Amino acid sequence: MSRWWKIVPPLVALALWELLAGLGWLGKTPTPVQAVRGIYELIATGLPPGYHLQGHLLASLARVFTGFAVAFVIAVPLGIAMGAWPLASVIVDPLVEAIRPIPPLAWAPLALIWFGLGLASSAFIVFLGAFFPILLNTVSGVKSVDPHLVEAARTLGARKRTILARVLVPGSMPSIITGMRIGMGIAWMTLIAAELIGVKNGYGLGYMIMTARDLARYDLLVAGMVVIGVVGFLIDWLIRLGEKRLLRWR
Amino acid sequence: MSVALLLLCAICAGLLTGCGSGTSATRVVRVGYLSTDMHQLAYYVAREKGFFTQEGLDVREVGAFSAGPEEMSAFSAGQLDMGYVGAAPAITFASQGMADIKIVAQANTIGSSIVVRPGLDIADVNGLKGRTVAIPGVSTMQDFILHKALDEAGVDPAEVNIIVVKPPDMIASLASGQIDAAVVWEPYPTMAVAQNAGRVLITSAKILPDHPCCMVVVDSKFLKDNPDTVKRFIAAHIKATDYINANKLEAADMAHLWTGQDTSITRVAMKNIKYAYVPSVKAIQSYVDFMKKSGVVKQKDTAAFTRSLVDTSFTGGSGR
Repeated sequence: MSRWWKIVPPLVALALWELLAGLGWLGKTPTPVQAVRGIYELIATGLPPGYHLQGHLLASLARVFTGFAVAFVIAVPLGIAMGAWPLASVIVDPLVEAIRPIPPLAWAPLALIWFGLGLASSAFIVFLGAFFPILLNTVSGVKSVDPHLVEAARTLGARKRTILARVLVPGSMPSIITGMRIGMGIAWMTLIAAELIGVKNGYGLGYMIMTARDLARYDLLVAGMVVIGVVGFLIDWLIRLGEKRLLRWR
Repeated sequence: MSVALLLLCAICAGLLTGCGSGTSATRVVRVGYLSTDMHQLAYYVAREKGFFTQEGLDVREVGAFSAGPEEMSAFSAGQLDMGYVGAAPAITFASQGMADIKIVAQANTIGSSIVVRPGLDIADVNGLKGRTVAIPGVSTMQDFILHKALDEAGVDPAEVNIIVVKPPDMIASLASGQIDAAVVWEPYPTMAVAQNAGRVLITSAKILPDHPCCMVVVDSKFLKDNPDTVKRFIAAHIKATDYINANKLEAADMAHLWTGQDTSITRVAMKNIKYAYVPSVKAIQSYVDFMKKSGVVKQKDTAAFTRSLVDTSFTGGSGR
């Protein structure tokens, strides 16, 4: 590999973290070594004891993917409609721009009333985080398609449906995938809010992190943050891998 | 680039936390408390009635926190000298070595209840078997209360589905039948009853008489450098506590002004809270023992740990 040096910046960051935390310059911040030991403790003992990391991870993956999937299924068609028909944009845009800045945590009590404790309410919070990046990127993707291409297809006798399926959707695909990547990242960012409502089965990475905070176990708290970081990185890597295959035509 | 920026911020934060309080005695006290917590009413009364000022203190509010762990983090960062906080976060952070503090007074004892949802027809704690019961957090005082109640009723905790729900969300969860019961501090039980979202099954006073709840804590170094200031602060706290107990109706009005709760709520809720200032080492230790059993406290000798944590000399306590 010629790009081995890519791992140098993360290693330098880790070394700096170890050094500064080890010297006590960061208050009571745990060191990377303590965080790694924390991950081991989360796997072996669990937090609260008996609730292992594997269970927390699975529960959060289920919440994130449910929320993300619903966001994707609604945001992409809506985004294409908004990009293709100005009227749809005029109708939906003010609503989207008014709801978008509301922090997901603010929705938590309402989610509880609407969906009760459990998967649906946490997935709803995740949905709110993932929905808008996918929607806005889809809209801009459709709008970025070269009008000459649409015109050319039309003169060749293509019908509206064909133009949509063969020109607009493929043309906006790179932008949609960017939206997916951003949306997935924000979906994980909302996890604490999503699981702060309360989890019925006692599992969830966000719930685990809040428990570590309550119990003053900052080593386990940072361990949980590292786990989310690694999982998020892997998922993003998978999406980019899929992007390369899907967009080979470019 | 952004990594470098983050690190720079981290270094700055590290340097900032390095600057603590000076060594010379001071009358300035940097205080933290939990916003809108009825248990900590004595702080508001002492502030509004000028008891701190009468003691010659310059009390500066650094923060109104929404949860105990954040307040304890502020102690950890050296930003607080004294604070009103729940027993659970205070003991947890001290046990983990995250904050070097001493408990110098009690703010209140009792003041929690087990609330059951509407339509759940059970007569006693025994009826919680096989039910879903919410607590505010693992190894909190409410967790202890629940375990004690189950123990006395002869119910195995493994037969109860104990989950964590934050108190503000408990009332909606009870009303919609998502949970069967909740163990929570006042005024939530009173609010649940007022909103027809539940009824009180049993108060914590009947489960664990005089159990500790909110505490007045002080940074250990601040205590060492300024014992007289701490003494004055506690004197004002005692005066405020006595004032609450002597003027219940006015205190309920003041609780309304502080927490925003209707006086119809604060008046009822206050009946379930005991405002007392002498910390009981024995009662605190029984809670520490529970935390040790749950694996939260690691100290081998819980008696020695509790004695090192609680200082009853400011409240005229017997030290037991």
